[in-house]
Amino acid sequence: MDCREYISEYLAGHADGELAPLARRAADEHVSGCPICRAQLIEERALKAIVRQSVALAKAPAELKSRIRGALDEADRRAAAPWTARLTEFLAPFRALGSRISEPLVWAPAGIAAVIAIAILAAIAVPRRGLIAPPPVPEFELAISRFQQFQHDFVPNVPAEAYENQTGAVYAWVINRDPVHRVADEADSDAFNDLARSFRSANLPDDLFDFAQAGYTITGGRVDQLPDGRPIAYTLYEGAAGEIVSLCFYDPTMAAPIGAVNWLGLRSFYQYKGYSICLSFYPTGHFISILITRMPVMQLMRDVAAADPSGISR
Amino acid sequence: MLCSSLLRMARKSGTAADRRLAFEREALPHLDAVYSAALRLARNPDDANDLTQETILRAYRFFDQFTAGTNCRAWLLTILYNIFRNAWHRGEREQPASTPEEFAGEIEAQSRDADQSRINPEALLLSRVAGRRIELALNALPAEFREALILVDVQELNYQEVATVLDAPLGTIKSRVSRGRALMRKALCRLDQARGKTGT
Ligand SMILES: [Zn+2]
Repeated sequence: MDCREYISEYLAGHADGELAPLARRAADEHVSGCPICRAQLIEERALKAIVRQSVALAKAPAELKSRIRGALDEADRRAAAPWTARLTEFLAPFRALGSRISEPLVWAPAGIAAVIAIAILAAIAVPRRGLIAPPPVPEFELAISRFQQFQHDFVPNVPAEAYENQTGAVYAWVINRDPVHRVADEADSDAFNDLARSFRSANLPDDLFDFAQAGYTITGGRVDQLPDGRPIAYTLYEGAAGEIVSLCFYDPTMAAPIGAVNWLGLRSFYQYKGYSICLSFYPTGHFISILITRMPVMQLMRDVAAADPSGISR
Repeated sequence: MLCSSLLRMARKSGTAADRRLAFEREALPHLDAVYSAALRLARNPDDANDLTQETILRAYRFFDQFTAGTNCRAWLLTILYNIFRNAWHRGEREQPASTPEEFAGEIEAQSRDADQSRINPEALLLSRVAGRRIELALNALPAEFREALILVDVQELNYQEVATVLDAPLGTIKSRVSRGRALMRKALCRLDQARGKTGT
């Protein structure tokens, strides 16, 4: 076993006590003769301990506890009731449906009636609505609303000098509406650097995705503020297959939601309400980046892997 | 083991009171664990309450299927994740959710309560500084890696139990734990570097 193999195949299982006896002996042997991997193992165990310490279990609220006890009592009470009482209770909503269905049952022997009633009930039973809805992701909702808005109304506002004339008036430049005013096309290479500079001066990350290789051009960028005052950078890319909108903003509390269909390093890919989304976390500064498109998620993954600006994917 | 013998007794005698007693001894000690997992999944306290209650009630209904001597926490979490997955796949995504800020505040308040009952103020302060970095690094992980790490390190399940809970092959769990920790180390390294640079 060499160090590479130990780190990639054994280290985690070793620290977790999950190795089979033979593998465990081999791993023990390696670390006893290798100070580097021994240090790695100590670090891995320290990481486990600190995760356990920092992510404390939440306490179930007292109100929930009493609610649960009440529900268990209720379940006991139902289970203890004689079967006829349970049947009565069971049929109550069914009776409420009216006489049309219940009348013939009056004439049938009780046992058969019960069987028929259960069969009918099963047939008409509406599947119960889910107790909990999967959580919508506010950040993704924001991305969708911007994507939709930008489809018919995208006015870039950075870099300012590219869209202002000498009098300071901003050129109205609306995508797919007034192609005469497009400025970005002939200055693509510059658009990239100009935008990066603009984002930097707004205290936002300046490492834009360079989708040029994948066949996209930057159509423009915006810097706006979210309702709470946080700056947010938008970049719109256009390619033969479709558009990609990039959003980048400060969000120290977001955690990647459950349900990613794939990931590359610290990027997670989602299919969300008909959109493909790539969510990335900047390793420093608490910024997140969201790429959103109507294109298939596999296409987005290929484009992102080719464009990776910061090496987060690696 | 007291719990499993109690459970066997309950099954043998089969009275409702014994069954309830066995359930309370075996399952309810894991209520905080179930609630914590529910809070992480549902992201808001109301849904977390519903999810927890539904999990406990379903566990009670199917308590006879629980194998005595196995990890009851893993069994409860399997039920929880099943309920959650089913709701998720039903595609009901239209309910208003709490904002990320509210959610973070909630989690913090909850864990503060949990912390204080366990450790002294000095340790609390220390662990808060470290804990903030760990939370950041964990939050930055792709969810599938984060889930696996939390189930192993915080909920203390073994890989096989995690595989059952997440309904994924054992090999997938192994690689998620291993890659998740590697990513965590990388992220923590970068956080340290950033701290060095800005001097905070
Ligand atoms: Zn080594």
